[in-house]
Amino acid sequence: MFPSLLLVFVLPALGVPFVYFTGKKSPRAAAILVALIALVNMILLFTTVPTILNSSTHEYIERYEWIPILQSEFTLFADGISASLAIITTVLIIVAALFSVDYMKEKKNLAVYYSLLTLLSIGLVGVFITSNLLLFYFCWELMLVPAYFIIGGWGYRDPYRAAFKFFIFTHAGAVFVLLGIGAIYMVTGTTDMFQAQATLLTISPDIVRWILLSLTAGFAVKMAVVPVHMWLPDAHSEAPSPMSALLSGVIISAGAYAILRLSLGTVFPAVAGTTFGIDFLHGLTIFGVISAFFGSLIALVETDIKRIIAYSSIAHMGYVMFGLSLFPSSPIVGTLTITAAITGTVLHLVNHAVSKGLLFLSAGAIMHQTDVRDIREMGGLAGEMPFTAVASTTAALSIGGTPPFACFISEVLIFVGAFEVITTDNFLLLPTALMLVATVISLAYSLRYLSHIFFGQAKSEVKKKIVDAPNYMKAAMAILVILVIVLGIWPTFFVHLIQTVQFI
Amino acid sequence: MVGIVDVVLPIISLVIFALLTLPVFKAIRKTQHRTALTLIWFSAVFLVSGAAVANLASQYYSLAPEGTALPFLNITLTGTPLADFSSSFMIDGISIYMAIMFIAVSAVVLFYSVFYMDPSKRPSERYFAIMIILTAALIGAVFSGDLLTLFIFWEAAAAGSSFLMIYKKDPVSLNSTLKYLVMIIIASAFIVFGLSIVYGLTGSLNFWVVRQALTALTDKTLLVIAFILIATGYAIEAAIVPFHFWLPDAYTAAPSSSAAFLSALIDQGSYYVLIRVLLFILTPPGVLNWTFMLAVMAALTMIVGNLFALIQSNVKRLIANICVADVGYNLVGITSVTALGLTGNLYFFLMGGITTALSFMAIGVINHHGFRTFEDFSGLGKKMPFVSLALVIAGLSFAGVPPFGGFMAKYLVFTAAIQANLSWLAVIGVLTSVLQAAYLFRLVNYMYARNPKDEGRIKEPKRLLIPIFILVAAIIILGVYPQIVFNLITPVVNQLQFIP
Repeated sequence: MFPSLLLVFVLPALGVPFVYFTGKKSPRAAAILVALIALVNMILLFTTVPTILNSSTHEYIERYEWIPILQSEFTLFADGISASLAIITTVLIIVAALFSVDYMKEKKNLAVYYSLLTLLSIGLVGVFITSNLLLFYFCWELMLVPAYFIIGGWGYRDPYRAAFKFFIFTHAGAVFVLLGIGAIYMVTGTTDMFQAQATLLTISPDIVRWILLSLTAGFAVKMAVVPVHMWLPDAHSEAPSPMSALLSGVIISAGAYAILRLSLGTVFPAVAGTTFGIDFLHGLTIFGVISAFFGSLIALVETDIKRIIAYSSIAHMGYVMFGLSLFPSSPIVGTLTITAAITGTVLHLVNHAVSKGLLFLSAGAIMHQTDVRDIREMGGLAGEMPFTAVASTTAALSIGGTPPFACFISEVLIFVGAFEVITTDNFLLLPTALMLVATVISLAYSLRYLSHIFFGQAKSEVKKKIVDAPNYMKAAMAILVILVIVLGIWPTFFVHLIQTVQFI
Repeated sequence: MVGIVDVVLPIISLVIFALLTLPVFKAIRKTQHRTALTLIWFSAVFLVSGAAVANLASQYYSLAPEGTALPFLNITLTGTPLADFSSSFMIDGISIYMAIMFIAVSAVVLFYSVFYMDPSKRPSERYFAIMIILTAALIGAVFSGDLLTLFIFWEAAAAGSSFLMIYKKDPVSLNSTLKYLVMIIIASAFIVFGLSIVYGLTGSLNFWVVRQALTALTDKTLLVIAFILIATGYAIEAAIVPFHFWLPDAYTAAPSSSAAFLSALIDQGSYYVLIRVLLFILTPPGVLNWTFMLAVMAALTMIVGNLFALIQSNVKRLIANICVADVGYNLVGITSVTALGLTGNLYFFLMGGITTALSFMAIGVINHHGFRTFEDFSGLGKKMPFVSLALVIAGLSFAGVPPFGGFMAKYLVFTAAIQANLSWLAVIGVLTSVLQAAYLFRLVNYMYARNPKDEGRIKEPKRLLIPIFILVAAIIILGVYPQIVFNLITPVVNQLQFIP
């Protein structure tokens, strides 16, 4: 068998020195090399798709020997959910690398920057394509350290402070994940998610309860739902824009993916049907609603261009959390076909990654061309920067949930799923209504964002002669604009892929 | 068959080489190619002694064909087996593993010291000779087969290491070395007193005879007294809280190359002695139950070590306090008394040793330019990028961030604690690890976020960078693919599980 997924790990790892030495000569060549590695990875990931769609188990698995004494194999696997998220991650890495060419031009030490980006890409993609808990944790932390140095080294204002906050918060979260993983290994004797799931069903729910809480708490920090969201606004707004796109598009999505895959997919079935299980899901609902409102409302009043987007990320993770809480709570017999709500949630992760990536990149283009961050000092930029204006409008409308852009479809799916669940669970009536209100607020802040920046009168504070974004930035944004529209009109590919997944 | 010669060959060869170092250096100093000849000489030392250890290891492993358990080999000087009071050696898996580790790490640290100490200056040859002798003593300690031999070799290593601390002969190092020596002497007094009671109880000091006699013991009062005395003695030497105060002083005052040697070899040796004597000789299953006390000590050591590290402003002292905290993490593995915990311990010996040695070596290079406190470290990432990178990697390994070796070590000991129903200990360990990450990243913040007082890069000596980056490579490779070490450890652990 051709080791596609192993190559996804190995290529960037081997690529780091090449990127470094290319970057010493020409940063642009290094950026293109990073993008090429990610492109090859994307193609490798696509080669697993036929197996996922057509095989009877709908999975693609590669196993290699790793640490036998810990019953740990280097298991790489892809099913519908992992493949969709990993593919979209590689897209964002390509786009971030291309965008950096012009965006980072004036900065120093770019060889190191691109090497860190390559290193980061291992963790970003790897976290989605492994079923081994230890390897998962390796990738989980590998997202952290390069991100710390990228935010700190090339960010704005007091970047290391933001990076430090990011590191400590998410590392503290990761440690709870580690406790959960250690406990799973101890009670089941395996570090493979799927074997663990089967064994956990036979174990007393009292222990499983703690594992579930510990894991979910840890993942929630990375996902940045209220009340553990504090690191996100700083990290997202102080990071260089390509990094913000990755943070918001991939890293927090990884938190959501981990909750779905590990907390709900692996551990939750063992407590499903108990009062605790139902309370747990209701807890997730409440945190989701609070996050959605908190993020949307602050985004509505915030004036810093990137902080608006950062808070909107918290709001959208609220939707995702709400979607996750619609996971079937009844005892699960046989295989569980994926529900509309979960399909919608995963699709929302994909769509949100693309849209939010585009929004951060266009915000980066605006900041790069105008040197202004406060949206009150901008205005009428549509005339000077038509391309960026189109990109921002596409992204902001998608974030606001308007058809025909990407996020609309997935939000609709989540709500369809919610109405399905309401028929059996009255508790969800009020949260669903509130979430519908929150979508209105998100449209409101999106429109406020657009009108302040691109329309109305040009403000006197912006004195510099403003031109539209340079070509590499345009290329990067163009890729995402096309994706946002295509995914909005034709989500079938990802929907099909996601719907092949069966829990248990 | 493994004979007495095979066993003592590594020890004897190291001692002879150490003694020869003095005249050889005299000769070398008169020639032109000093550096090259110095390197050749020390390469020869480690090639020969390494070959002696390899010979012993291959002979020992050939005794146990694939799939069978490793034997415990008793080798006596007099020829009469298990003589009550004879000096005897015992070879088992753990001693072979420790000996290989000591030789390998000692070689890296010595090559660093050679360039750190400037071999052309006069008394430096004594320093190198003492380092080699200490390695010999440590190997002797792990090969010992009775409590007295172990005591002699181990105290030689522990007390002898004061020579490494006092090398600079300044008042601070004199002071802290004196403190260290006093502690070691008190500790050995406790141990000797305890051993004499054990001898009185069992009529022997041989590991197996003592162990068997203790299982048959009816009145345990004297054993408890002896155990407390010996445990106190070894707790002082391993710097377990509340007996840890000498360690930060001693390591901070010692030259960085000595601190690297002490933390990577002597420290790990002290945990070995602790495990061997307290766990596998004096407390056979069902004789004494002291897990809870050990767990409390482990928790205290982790908490106190990390809290003291948190308030340090001197970076070297910070690392010295992490050494104390590392004792605590090791104790977590010791406490659990499971196969996993022992695997974790043995892996921790290597990884913890390498990581502390690496950080002391990096700090040695940095201290050379007068940078000592957090303030001095401001902007160091720009001034000395390579050494800073090494220090950051050491910090990440300490904090237990994968893919560096420290992560796997901590993962093993914490899962072992959960397995042994000591989840609270694992939680404390994990939380203190977060604390560790926090203060180490405070250091990283100083190094990268702050601007240096004076711009401009400082030239980093390439000769010192080579041993530093050998250890960096070891941390990464053994962190990503720990199976290399586990292949050595697993048979050892299996052997110790089935002690008669």
